[in-house]
Amino acid sequence: MGMQIAHIMASCMGGIRTAGDLVAWMQITRRMKIREAKAYVAKKLAIDPFELTDEEIMRELRKDLGIGTVTSIAGSPKGILAKSRVARLLDINIRSVALFRSQLDA
Amino acid sequence: MTDEIYAGAREAVLKGDIDAAADVARRGLDEGIDPIELINNGFIPGINEVGDLFGTGQLFLPELIKAAKAMQAATDIINAAIPEGEGQEGGRVVIGTVEGDVHDIGKTIVVSLLKANGFEVLDLGRDVKTERFIEEAQRFNADIIGSSALLTTTMGAQKKLEEALRQAGLKERFKTMVGGAPVTRRWARRIGADAFAENASEAVRLARELIVSA
Amino acid sequence: MSDMILTRMGDGERVRLEAAEIREDILDGTEDAAKRAGIAPLSEDEQEQLFEIIADPARIVSVKPGNEVIVTDDGCSMSFYGGQDGGGVGAPLSRMQAVLTYERACGADTTSLGHSDYSYKPVKPIINFEANDYYNISMATTAPFFYGAQPNLGLYFQPDGPCPNAAELMPQGKIEEACQAQEEAAEHLQRDLVFVGRRLAEVGLEGLNFDTCGSAGDADFLAALKAVAELKKTVPDLPILMGAAGEFVLGMHGSVTFQGERLAGMFPQDQARMVAAAGGDIFGMAVSTATTESVPWNLSRAVTFLKATSERSPIPVHANVGMGVCGVPMMEQPPIDSVTRVSKALVEIGKADGL
Repeated sequence: MGMQIAHIMASCMGGIRTAGDLVAWMQITRRMKIREAKAYVAKKLAIDPFELTDEEIMRELRKDLGIGTVTSIAGSPKGILAKSRVARLLDINIRSVALFRSQLDA
Repeated sequence: MTDEIYAGAREAVLKGDIDAAADVARRGLDEGIDPIELINNGFIPGINEVGDLFGTGQLFLPELIKAAKAMQAATDIINAAIPEGEGQEGGRVVIGTVEGDVHDIGKTIVVSLLKANGFEVLDLGRDVKTERFIEEAQRFNADIIGSSALLTTTMGAQKKLEEALRQAGLKERFKTMVGGAPVTRRWARRIGADAFAENASEAVRLARELIVSA
Repeated sequence: MSDMILTRMGDGERVRLEAAEIREDILDGTEDAAKRAGIAPLSEDEQEQLFEIIADPARIVSVKPGNEVIVTDDGCSMSFYGGQDGGGVGAPLSRMQAVLTYERACGADTTSLGHSDYSYKPVKPIINFEANDYYNISMATTAPFFYGAQPNLGLYFQPDGPCPNAAELMPQGKIEEACQAQEEAAEHLQRDLVFVGRRLAEVGLEGLNFDTCGSAGDADFLAALKAVAELKKTVPDLPILMGAAGEFVLGMHGSVTFQGERLAGMFPQDQARMVAAAGGDIFGMAVSTATTESVPWNLSRAVTFLKATSERSPIPVHANVGMGVCGVPMMEQPPIDSVTRVSKALVEIGKADGL
């Protein structure tokens, strides 16, 4: 486990602490390479790509957009609801969200 | 002419051509080339090249097996021409994957390459109990016991084998070699194994050294 | 002594080397990779950059701000509750607790679920249990959540599976039988991979990971490629990550082809091309660490392979950085000084899109 955490500390974007999950969604759903994926997400968030890993900026943005924050805030979206907003924000298809929406509409 | 024979021997092994290898062996002996020199200068460089090509992804297991067969055909003919007592013994190896471990692909490659290089090999397969390694090594009159472990949880069986050999007073009787993904030279040193090989070609080289030193 | 640089061997042993020795290992490592794969070695500047990373006196190093990449999870969540074999720490967590801890406490970019055997074949009889767990956890996760395991062709040979054992037939000289057994096993494997992928896709699978493809040779790699292609036909929106097992595809069969190209002996730049052609979305590159060489030598090789692969690959390339891979020392608790140097070098010189 120490090895994974070391990699996260050394190189990782930071997941839902910052914008790591958002950039990862772009890589897996649109086959975007890292630079392109970062640029895409930054444009959607109207920030500079450099700011994607800035906790100070991303925390407020995530809270405002309701796309999940790393600390647990009562009443603030997380999980499938947050992902649903991520799918809309990034204009991508997230399969779990699509299933959830189809169940809601059923 | 001698150089031509040596080149032909190398090529026959590289191509895995059994008939050509046998033919070159006969022609070499007819030319009066010393049998041991014929093996060492003609066929061994060929099989070494096969091992290197396999290790670098330029040649594959079926070709390796064919090369081994070609080598075997040539050495059978040449060995018959060597006066008794003067021949080079390839050595006898008992090999297996340790108890609790069912991974055998790496071991298979080592077995193939050892056979290709003239070793007599008894492959015990996988999930081999410590006691069986020792019993079969005695029955087979082995020079070397090789054990493979692919998991950090099964490496301990290699240590158990060393301890069992010591307890049975057989540590001096057999040389031991260890291999497998998590196995390292330091591990071999720590448990008292005689050699560690990083890959199949290295295993052949070290096995030869162990036979010479024995 | 103070001029000596602290580094490690590929088995994790600490060694102190002179700067010249490290530079020599870096040069040897890059030239070895270049020669094997027919690619360019690292430039002098890149070699010097790698030297600076290795020689950094700090205990751990990291990429510069702005250079961060995605770290995909191949079974890391399992390491919380798993045991020694998978580098697990045996903490008493449920699968959901482990996944959410990895996402929220560690800040991982992606998380995953996998059967403890970490092979697809044993998942088949318990697919509904896995689908249930996957679905429940996917309702709680925010970051991309994969299902992953290894194809593991070896499980289809006797005595574990239905096909004659190729690993026994081949040394006996039964080449045709051994090749036929591998082809037959690959068909079984492909069916199982597709079966698991399709069933999980029905419960909203966000991404599928075929990890360590080719560990049992070229037929293993072929089965995974064919499974990717088949899944993409029926579930085109399913993201698939396909990771390799080594720097070249091991030719246990030697002749199997995908889209007319022989797979045996393919180096990472071509492996990535094949994965993309099959429809895979991310390629995971793997280069085994040689335990008898130094970390500088191993890392230089891995960076060289990665750079060539990243430059040519039409899809994102993630370097596999587990125990004994891509320069990470081969030991159960890889030391973090080496791990972070591997991380930084692969990202900043190798131009990885992720790890």
